[in-house]
Amino acid sequence: MVTKKQFLTKLNASLKRLPSSERQDILQDMEEYFEIGIEEGKTEEQISASLGSPHQIAKELAAAYRVEKVGETATASNILRAVWAVIGLGFFNLVIVLGPFVALAGFIIAGWIVSVSFVASPILVLINVSIHPQIFEPFDLFFSIGLAGLGLFIAIGMFFATRAITNGFVRYLKYNVGLVKGGMKHVQY
Amino acid sequence: MNVQFKKGVLELCVLVLLNKKDRYGYELVQKISEQIDISEGSAYPLLRRLTKEGYFTTYLKESTEGPPRKYYQLTDSGKSYLHDLLQEWEEFTNGVNQLIKEGVNGD
Repeated sequence: MVTKKQFLTKLNASLKRLPSSERQDILQDMEEYFEIGIEEGKTEEQISASLGSPHQIAKELAAAYRVEKVGETATASNILRAVWAVIGLGFFNLVIVLGPFVALAGFIIAGWIVSVSFVASPILVLINVSIHPQIFEPFDLFFSIGLAGLGLFIAIGMFFATRAITNGFVRYLKYNVGLVKGGMKHVQY
Repeated sequence: MNVQFKKGVLELCVLVLLNKKDRYGYELVQKISEQIDISEGSAYPLLRRLTKEGYFTTYLKESTEGPPRKYYQLTDSGKSYLHDLLQEWEEFTNGVNQLIKEGVNGD
């Protein structure tokens, strides 16, 4: 049996990573819910039992918040936080979110590494020449300049691919937040 | 009933309830839980999400008893979203009903 105060304290503690304005707003909503319930003659314990686990509610609120943040600014750290929060919703999400995330992140990282190392290849040839001038082959230099050109094209492609993949993945996260694990009855805490 | 299934329907229920008139959170949740067995707390993340997506706006209104209440109001984009969801729902239930009918009649 959980009283109003206990419920709100637990909810607040589970939301500690959210900004305080957001948290205050949420707690106010729940407080209003308790107050109206009490006016209608319910006990605090009945109300908190019908609300379910504050921990689960907090998880869903946090996931929704993180995904919303990514929608505003898709920085790498925002994306990681959102992925983490959505995964936290349940085992199902671990499978359907982490898998695609690792695959897409791997693709993006590999693509950028390839393009950067291609672009840098003439510099590597020059460094090599300065260390071992006796083994200089003009072919190496021409070939590496060609590679650098190719690397630039790959970089341009990766720029658009990264943007498209990020947008698509953010939409996928949003869809997940809406889809999975809500309305869990009988959750113990 | 299946948890995932309910959550999808919850969104539709909230939108339908707000289509008729503005309501406050407690009222919305009670209306739904009279019909469907949900964990009442899960409605709040949903309400916040739909508000942030621009489907609702909220305002505070004094109540005759106790503190002011937060009312939810459907926006135009909320109305068109509701329209889309309703259409999907009808197609879906028609399909399922058709299959049930065929299944029960035993062909």
